[in-house]
Amino acid sequence: MSGRSGAITDEEINELVSKLQSLLPESRRRRSAGRVSASKLLKETCSYIKGLHREVEDLSDRLSDLMATMDSNSPQAEIIRSLLRP
Amino acid sequence: MQVTEAFKHAFLKQMLLGFQASAVSTKSMGFQERKNAIKLSADVAMAVARGSRKWTRGLIAGLSEERQNRSFLRLILGEQYESLLKPCHSSWKIPRCKKIVRRSLRVCWRKQKKNQSGVLARTLVEKRTQELKRLVPGGESMDGSSLLDETLDYVLSLRAQVDLMQSLLTTFEASKLRSHSKRRLPERKASYVSK
Repeated sequence: MSGRSGAITDEEINELVSKLQSLLPESRRRRSAGRVSASKLLKETCSYIKGLHREVEDLSDRLSDLMATMDSNSPQAEIIRSLLRP
Repeated sequence: MQVTEAFKHAFLKQMLLGFQASAVSTKSMGFQERKNAIKLSADVAMAVARGSRKWTRGLIAGLSEERQNRSFLRLILGEQYESLLKPCHSSWKIPRCKKIVRRSLRVCWRKQKKNQSGVLARTLVEKRTQELKRLVPGGESMDGSSLLDETLDYVLSLRAQVDLMQSLLTTFEASKLRSHSKRRLPERKASYVSK
């Protein structure tokens, strides 16, 4: 769908907007009839993405911590090895 | 975009390959170095699992801007590295960008504008659109509807990335618990409700 140089219809944009709205946690909880404003939607989307980025950072930290304390002869290491097997 | 089993499988496999390539289980590795290697593996895994999209190309391009990432990227991606770096076709649209963004956003929120002070609202939309473009990889060169489309796809992929990293963490933590004293496994609350 993306990358077309043809005219983008109103319908397609509305569809994208409502899909985006349904993804955002706040929008879903609100369950408001009709549309939310453009700036609100963009703001919530930006916050949401930043939140997800933070979660990835946090999970990377925790995985790093965990790996630091793993013993190469332990069952944990064996799990990793078995996951790497084709 | 659907987060399929195939996607999850590709992501996990790619991430573990990344771990292996950067030898994250080496005891002598510093915390920051290991953390960066993990995050890099996770981002590459997400891009590879998703395939060729504007944002995945943008992501890989962004990652290769840092010199220390390049040998890892070449190693992990092989032939895909070059093709993922190819500029997307819509890059010529950059000068028209702002106008298109404004038009496509205005199209769906036309009715709302009547009640808002026009200039302020438009400025706010523009400002936030710029912010979104900075957040979505490759966003700077996207036009209005592309941006929305790519944002949707990117958000879904990010959520999957978070879920999968959490699963990996849980698996590792659980195996550790068996050999240590009983303590409650901390439950991470997801910041969204997954489908």
